[in-house]
Amino acid sequence: MSAISELSSITRRKGKATAAEKKANGRDNKAAYIFLLPWLVGLVAITIGPMIMSLYLSFTDYNLLQPPEWVGLENFTRMLSDARLHNSLGVTFTYVFVGVPLQLAVALLIALVLDKGLRGLPFYRSVFYLPSLLGGSVAVAILWKQIFGTTGLVNQVLAMFGIQGPGWISDPSTALGSIILLHVWTFGAPMIIFLAGLRQIPHMYYEAARVDGATTLQQFWRITLPMLSPIIFFNLVLQIIGSFQSFTQAFIVSGGNGGPSDSTMFFTLYLYQKGFGQFDMGYASAMAWVLLVIIGVFTAINFIASKYWVFYDD
Amino acid sequence: MQLFSRPASAARQPAQSPSPGAARRIRKTGVVAAAAAVVMALSACGGGSSPQNADGPVELRFSWWGGDKRAQLTQEAIKQFEAENPNIKIKPEFGDWSGYWDKLATQVAANDAPDIIQMDEKYITEYSSRGALLDLSKYEIDTSKLDEAALNAGKSEDGLTGIAAGINAATILANPAVFEAAGVAMPDDSTWTWEDFEKIASDVTAKSPKGTYGAAAYGTDEASLGVWLRQNGKSLYTSDGNLGFEPSDISEWWAFLKQLSENKAVPTASEVVEAEAAPLDQSGLATGKNAMAFWWSNQAPALEKASGSDLKILRFPTKTGSSADAELWYKASQFWSASSRTKHPEETAKFIDFLANNVKAGEALLADRGVYPNSEVRAAIESKLTPADVKVVKFIDQIKDELGEAPAPPPKGAGAIQEIIKRYTSEVLFERLSTDEAGKKAHDEMKSAISS
Repeated sequence: MSAISELSSITRRKGKATAAEKKANGRDNKAAYIFLLPWLVGLVAITIGPMIMSLYLSFTDYNLLQPPEWVGLENFTRMLSDARLHNSLGVTFTYVFVGVPLQLAVALLIALVLDKGLRGLPFYRSVFYLPSLLGGSVAVAILWKQIFGTTGLVNQVLAMFGIQGPGWISDPSTALGSIILLHVWTFGAPMIIFLAGLRQIPHMYYEAARVDGATTLQQFWRITLPMLSPIIFFNLVLQIIGSFQSFTQAFIVSGGNGGPSDSTMFFTLYLYQKGFGQFDMGYASAMAWVLLVIIGVFTAINFIASKYWVFYDD
Repeated sequence: MQLFSRPASAARQPAQSPSPGAARRIRKTGVVAAAAAVVMALSACGGGSSPQNADGPVELRFSWWGGDKRAQLTQEAIKQFEAENPNIKIKPEFGDWSGYWDKLATQVAANDAPDIIQMDEKYITEYSSRGALLDLSKYEIDTSKLDEAALNAGKSEDGLTGIAAGINAATILANPAVFEAAGVAMPDDSTWTWEDFEKIASDVTAKSPKGTYGAAAYGTDEASLGVWLRQNGKSLYTSDGNLGFEPSDISEWWAFLKQLSENKAVPTASEVVEAEAAPLDQSGLATGKNAMAFWWSNQAPALEKASGSDLKILRFPTKTGSSADAELWYKASQFWSASSRTKHPEETAKFIDFLANNVKAGEALLADRGVYPNSEVRAAIESKLTPADVKVVKFIDQIKDELGEAPAPPPKGAGAIQEIIKRYTSEVLFERLSTDEAGKKAHDEMKSAISS
């Protein structure tokens, strides 16, 4: 929102810079680059280098133990007939398209409640934020496994009401749902961003609406939601990108095999299995590039669609 | 280290203010030097054991999979070796089976493999055919006293790439306490059939508290499948590296499992899936939830310790009711292998020789990795064995005359088979696939796994 307008004013100012200013800027830039050096080395050595390498490997047959052999597009054509890969795409898409909207809805709901000005708000904010710090961790995934096991906490509670619950994470029909629930539970990060966004909506809009006799619900639909749309968009893009890449939760909860019956076999997990479990690193690299393209496409769709629903209050 | 040594010419020159160009040059040099320093630091982290001078101590890395008990015993063996060889330090790396192979593959790919590697028959062909393992026959390792079959298991066209660490057999371990609580008699393993197994197991389930079952489900590894196939005149692999069975054979195996499941002889599908992920000391047998379970013989002592009761080692049931048809075999439980890229092959071989032939190593390791293949060590440590170890040794001796033919070694890609079996077992137990479909699909997948 305002960051963008600030940026454009900076660039506008820059156009009018004098020669002396330019020289000073140049010196500053050099200093900046030297300070950036450790990060730049990291970027090149740890991110860009391996990425280029993986692009090369995606066109090879590479079993980790012997030098890679060039096979052209074979890895990509093999994907077309790999039923397990298609299944893993289905699992990942379900996770993203069910988990992300649910998580954002919960985050927005909690943010709205907290925005009403509760007593002890900082405390609640921290409590609700906590899961998103912990949710991606191994410890919580293990805890999740205990809670949703056949004799776990959930089934013990259900048993008090005489209900025999299934093995939530060991039954193929409920396992993915349990992992989506874990994702929804980590709503803290988008919630904090929503909360900040809500604070920025000027009160005068609500006052004017109330004078005109708008109900709370109308205020939400007509003022809050449009004014918040850039924030929703921001959260949506971030969460979709993040969810496509999620790995830890499924890896831990399923014990690394995406089971039962591949029902939690995320794309990333299958990639990992192919690369490190089955010595098929060329194929795994090709999969990584396919994932990159998928994420790119969805992010592009997101940006294009945003023109029709995101409202910038400039 | 002095990064910018001043050249002699510069030192002689009178002091003068540097020109602007020189200042830039100096700054540039600084950047390059800093970059070089970073790169040097990075590459220093890469190598595993840095090269040492001839007289200095040598450090070897030794990795294995296994639980706490194995870690304690192995550390003790390392201590004994280091006492005898003060110039060689052994650095242990150990963890669970499930993470072990991912880690090893990555280490080998990064040229950072441990010097001594505990290897399994499922993976030894994969690694040795791709040149990752050292041919140990070229080094001083005494193999004269090793059991011949066990020694041959580590040989291939790539040389002797593994020395068997122990001898193993597939077994059914039974917990008499669970039988007693249910009031069911222990089976006679020299005459029992698969029908007896089913009857006894479902009997135990029926007479036990809820959540306790007569037997753990099979179908989580290839050992139980291997026994089943051999009893039906087939085999898991053929000697030319193909599958030794038809889709219908594995379908029948699953059909019987389904029958066991329907009669509640084994836990529910969900519980089976959960049990798969549990480590040894939280398995159904260890926690007293199963009366019988499928394990390798060398795992009996660890399970006995975890369960706290006096376990009994049983032969597999047969189709005919005669233990002569059990078709069991001696398996090399694990191998001692060495990385082909080790910088210290002599010292590595010395350590493997110690593990295989030294009585002190035997006294430390006991029977945790199976019965010692070295006959002398086996005799020398007999008095030190725990009662649980003695049971294992007795069982291995007991089945000696009933053994079937030695199975063909697992081919390249065999590491993926277990995962395929597990996955289709849960497809069958959750009734997502019929046993026929599962048999066909699993057979196809296994075939392509070992042919690539």
